[in-house]
Amino acid sequence: MAATQFVVNGLLVGALFAGIAVGFALIWGVVDIINLAHGEMVMLGGYTSYWTLTLITGNAEGSPLLFLATIPVAIGAMFVVGYALQRVLVSRVIGTDIFLTLLVTFGASIAIQQLALQAWSANPRAIQVSFANPSLTIAGIVVPKMKLVAFVGAIVLTAALYLFLQRTRTGRAIRAVSQNPEAAALVGIDVERTRAITFGVSSAIAGGIGAFVATILNIQPQMGLIYTLKSFVIVVFGGVGSIPGALVGGLLLGSVEELVAGFISTRWTLAVSFSLLIVLLVVKPKGLFGEGVSE
Amino acid sequence: MSAETDDSGVLRSILPPEQVDRAFETCDNHGWKLLVAGAVVGVLPPLLGLEAGYFMTVLTEMYLFGVLALSWDIVGGQTGYPSFGNMAFFGIGAYTTAILTKDFAVAFPLAFLSAGVVATAFALIIGLIVLRLRGHYFAIATLGVLLAAQQVSRNLSITGGASGKILLQTPPGEVFYYVFLGILVLEAAVIYYLSSTRFGFVLNAIRDDEAKATAMGFNTTYYKTAAWGLAALFTGAAGGAYGLFNTFINPQTAYNAAWNVELIAMALLGGSGTVVGPIIGAFGLHTVIEIVESYAVGWQLVLLGLAIIGTVIAIPEGIVGALREYASEMDYYERGGMAATDETDAEPSDDGAPTGGDPQ
Repeated sequence: MAATQFVVNGLLVGALFAGIAVGFALIWGVVDIINLAHGEMVMLGGYTSYWTLTLITGNAEGSPLLFLATIPVAIGAMFVVGYALQRVLVSRVIGTDIFLTLLVTFGASIAIQQLALQAWSANPRAIQVSFANPSLTIAGIVVPKMKLVAFVGAIVLTAALYLFLQRTRTGRAIRAVSQNPEAAALVGIDVERTRAITFGVSSAIAGGIGAFVATILNIQPQMGLIYTLKSFVIVVFGGVGSIPGALVGGLLLGSVEELVAGFISTRWTLAVSFSLLIVLLVVKPKGLFGEGVSE
Repeated sequence: MSAETDDSGVLRSILPPEQVDRAFETCDNHGWKLLVAGAVVGVLPPLLGLEAGYFMTVLTEMYLFGVLALSWDIVGGQTGYPSFGNMAFFGIGAYTTAILTKDFAVAFPLAFLSAGVVATAFALIIGLIVLRLRGHYFAIATLGVLLAAQQVSRNLSITGGASGKILLQTPPGEVFYYVFLGILVLEAAVIYYLSSTRFGFVLNAIRDDEAKATAMGFNTTYYKTAAWGLAALFTGAAGGAYGLFNTFINPQTAYNAAWNVELIAMALLGGSGTVVGPIIGAFGLHTVIEIVESYAVGWQLVLLGLAIIGTVIAIPEGIVGALREYASEMDYYERGGMAATDETDAEPSDDGAPTGGDPQ
């Protein structure tokens, strides 16, 4: 019985991981870089929502609708940040040694993290949503309402991204650039702009999910790296460039973590995730759904 | 590694080409003398009466970072496997000495040597796994190793858990000054020696084209694992000494992910793939960080992030790389490059300011 409860918890949180990982995978697939500052977008998105709510209500508490209204703000702000990050920094190192791209994004990650630390201190913060208590109980399984909302929110954002990629002209351009930048340029796609939009959209999704993270887990300036690494685990598991893969990977990682936390101890969840990362990289670097990317 | 260093314009105005050229010739021919001279200069300060105190500590830390940057460069710069997890060796070394001296009352020199050995053993085991990966995958896997090691140390009881270990019975500060200087000199000597042997050449061949190196009949797995172990030996020893030098370790300080980036930045800033580059980078960047730490507490990591971004964009080859590029360009220019118009020489002057990137 307990196991079911842990799995449900894991699935609820795992959707958030999945949504974050989808953006990470998209940047990896389209721009061909590992964005080590991706977790910082989650953090900044969470803070954007937190401060917007504080601006409106005076403290970071509000009704569900008021909270949901802050999400577009977070999404918009993170789109701008992501777009600028690509235009100003990443575009300068694309095509050079991949190691340089890793360093640039890691540098950005550290700088953002530390600036946030200076601005907002290391105290963990959370958004209080008024209807959160009491939790629902369905067939003996406890489902916190905010986790359910966050779950739905993450799925909606991921689905929106999927539709955006499949249905819109820009989405098609993004997919074209991911498959073959030269050919895309030949047919008249502005590759640089498309990459910047990809970066913006990925960061925006991460930022939106960051707002949900702020309601069910804490946010603090140094949380980013963990989310970046989790995204990496998920993407490696699901396969680079595969949105369904990222979704399955995220739900699975969430479940594994909750099971470890439940049956062993919460202290071991991170160690298990990182070990899982190493094992996955060695055993199945191409992932479940990916066709495998050249290095 | 196509060099897009069009900084020769600024450099030319600062340094006369003949001098740079001569300096590098001197370095090439007299590396050992340079090393001995450096060691002698390093030994002098305490003898000349510099007391244990702030400057002594700063110098000691400089040597420490020199060791870390140089160790990273064996695998990152020479072999082309960019590791984000070298601090794992450091932490394992630190914990080894801490546990041995505190819980088993082992004397410091023995504990210190064990730190290097344990870290190397760990590296060889982990190396068998992660060295099969390349590029992004290798970088992230090593970061994963570092964070996993940190989490494990946080959860075990022998390591003192999250609160770490306090080490009160430590040798005096001067001992550490000489310990770190000694490791640095020894390591520089080893790498300098290796860079003229087949071992060094094969490492560089792996970096440039691993498939070709394998095709030429070299057992690349052996070479890169050996390089990885060598890096771990020195990093682990440095960590072993650091635990006692700092009189305190916990998972946060022993497996410091920010330091891991710092030492990469040092190697890159100075010039990776060389012996002198990472040392110059370590001394220079540590000085800057130390100054920022004294005058603007809390901003040093912001600066670090910006420094990394600046370095990567402005001088991806590092200080030594840029100078060397410049020297060879001058060589080409003077001895027969006149016939062909070299594109990099043709328009050298439209360059942004950040090239100067103060060496010290």
